[in-house]
Amino acid sequence: MPVPAILTKSLTKQYANLTALNSFDLEVAQGSIFGLLGPNGAGKTTLIRILTTLMRQSSGEVFIDGLDIRTEGRRIRSMIGVVSQENSLDRYLTARENLVLHARLHGMDRKTYNRRIDELLELMGLSARQKDFPDTFSGGMQRRLVVARALLHQPQLLFLDEPTTGLDPQSRRAVWDYIRSLAGSMTIFLTTHYLEEAEQLCDRIAIMDHGRLVALGSTRELKDRLSGATVYEIELERDVDQYETLLRSMPCVRDIGVLNNRLQVTLECWECLSEIVTALNGAPVRSISLKERTLEDVFISLTGAGVRE
Amino acid sequence: MIMRGSLAIWMRDMQVLRRAIFSELVAVVAYPLTIYLAFGIGMQSYIGAVEGSPYSLFIAPGLITMTAVNAAYNESVWSLWFHRRVQFTVESYRVTPISVSEIIIAKICTGFTHGIIKGCAVGLVIFAITPFRFPIEHLFNYLVFLIPGSALFSCAGVISGTVMDKPETIGKVEAVLVMPLIFMSGLFFPLSSYPPDVLPWVRAIPTTALFEGARRALVSGDMSTLHVLQVSVSAVILFAVAVWIFRRKMAE
Ligand SMILES: Nc1ncnc2c1ncn2[C@@H]1O[C@H](COP(=O)(O)OP(=O)(O)OP(=O)(O)O)[C@@H](O)[C@H]1O
Ligand SMILES: [Mg+2]
Repeated sequence: MPVPAILTKSLTKQYANLTALNSFDLEVAQGSIFGLLGPNGAGKTTLIRILTTLMRQSSGEVFIDGLDIRTEGRRIRSMIGVVSQENSLDRYLTARENLVLHARLHGMDRKTYNRRIDELLELMGLSARQKDFPDTFSGGMQRRLVVARALLHQPQLLFLDEPTTGLDPQSRRAVWDYIRSLAGSMTIFLTTHYLEEAEQLCDRIAIMDHGRLVALGSTRELKDRLSGATVYEIELERDVDQYETLLRSMPCVRDIGVLNNRLQVTLECWECLSEIVTALNGAPVRSISLKERTLEDVFISLTGAGVRE
Repeated sequence: MIMRGSLAIWMRDMQVLRRAIFSELVAVVAYPLTIYLAFGIGMQSYIGAVEGSPYSLFIAPGLITMTAVNAAYNESVWSLWFHRRVQFTVESYRVTPISVSEIIIAKICTGFTHGIIKGCAVGLVIFAITPFRFPIEHLFNYLVFLIPGSALFSCAGVISGTVMDKPETIGKVEAVLVMPLIFMSGLFFPLSSYPPDVLPWVRAIPTTALFEGARRALVSGDMSTLHVLQVSVSAVILFAVAVWIFRRKMAE
C-alpha cells in the first residue's frame, strides 16, 4: 500500500489555554482531493499551518508522504505548494516578479522557471497583466496569482486554505475547474466554508469543530450516515395508521415517522422507492416528495446552528 | 548552509530599492543636510572651533555615519515588520525549501546595504557642497567602522522588527532608544563635554565607539583598535541574537 500523502496521529496544538487541535487523526490518500470543513475558529488554518511546517505541533505526529514534519521540513517544503488564507503577495513586485522570486527560492533554474511561468500565467488568464503590481488586481486575479505561485514548482501536494473566499461565482468556477483539472496529478487538501465547493470538488470530506474531527467520508456517505439516508414525505388523504404499519413491515424502510397525515419514510437507499410505490398502489396518496438532506444540513446538525465568536 | 534563499530575497530587496532609488536618496539626504546647514553653517559663528576644527567639519563625519546607521536600522525594522505583519511575505518564503536563518540573514544584509548606499550618498553630497575635505586614504579607515556599524544597526532593526508587532511601538523605540544613542555618542559635541564620572559608561556603549572612532578615522586617519573591536564584536553578538530571536519567533 502506498504511504498516505498526509497522516496525522493524535495531533494536538495548544495556544496558551486554548486547544486549537485536539487529538486529531487524519489520513489523506495520494492523488485524492480532500476537503476540510468547519465553522470559523474550528482549527482549519491551524491544521494547515502545522502540515505546511509553519507551526510546530504541541504533541502528536505528522507525516507528509511518510516524512516526519519535525525533522524533514526542508524536503517536505520542496514538494508542497501552499495557498494561504491571506494572499501574501509582494506588492512591490510585479505579478511575474512574484513568481520569479518563488521559483528562485525553490532553486529552479532560469530557463525552466521562465517557461513554466509563461505557461501558468497563460492558464490563469494573467499574461496580459504580468508586468502589473498585484495591488492593482481584483481579488479574483490576486487569488489566481497565488494559486499559480503555489503550482510553479510542480508540487506533489497542494494545500489551499479557503481558495475561493471572496470570489464571484465566475472566478470561483474558474478556480474549481482548474483544481479539477489537476485531480490525479497531485494530492489536494483544501479548506472551505462553501459546502457546495466541497461537494463539487472533493473525493473525501472531513468536518471538524473545536479542534476535533466530527465526521469523515465521501459526500454521499456523510449525507447517508449522518442524516439518515433518503427521506420521502408521503401525504395521504386518510388511513395514515394503516399505511404506516404496512410500510414499517417492509425491509427497505429504515425508519418511519408520522406527522398529521404525512408519513416521513426513511429508505435504506433511493432505489427502494419503486417498492414503496408498488405497496402504495390504490392508496389515497396526495403527494410524494423527496426530502433530500444537503451537506449543509449535515454540517449544521454536526456543528450546531449558533454563530461562532 | 545553502545561501540560495538569502541571495534570492536580498536580490528582491535590491530590485525594489533600485526602482525607488531616486526618491529614497532625496529623502535620506534631506535630513542630514538640513542639520548640516542649520548647525554647521547657521550656528557655526556662535560655536567656534571644536577640538581644533570648525564646527561644520566636526559634525560632518557624524552626519554621514548617522545617515548610514539610521538607514540600516529603519530599513530592517520596517521591512521585517511589513513582510511579517502586513504582506505575510515571510510566510510565503517559509513554505519554500529554505531555512528561517536564510530569511533573516537576507534581511540583515538588505539593511546593511541600505546603510552603506545611503551613507555614501550623503557623504558625496556633503563633499560636493561643503568645504569638508579629507585625505582619500582615510576613507578606507572610515569604512572599517561604517561596515560593522551598519551591520550592527541592521541587526538591531531586525530584532526590533521581529519582536514588535505594532507600528507605534516601533516609533516609540526609535524615539526612546535609537535616536538618543546616536545623539549622545558625540555626534554634535566632543565626548570631553561629559562629566568625568559618566564618561567611562558612555564610552562603553558601542554607538559611542562607532561615532567617535569613525570621525577620528575619517578626519585624522587614526585607527583605534579598541573602538573597531567594540563595534565589530557587538555586531557579531547582535547578529547571533537576531538570528536566534527570529527563529524563536517563527517557531511559535
Ligand atoms: N496565533 C494564535 N494565538 C492564539 N490563538 C490562536 C492563534 N491562531 C489561531 N488561534 C485560535 O485557534 C482557533 C482556531 O483558529 P483557526 O484560525 O485555525 O480557525 P479556522 O478554522 O481557520 O477559522 P476560519 O474559518 O475563521 O479561518 C481559534 O479559536 C483561534 O482564535
Ligand atoms: Mg482559517
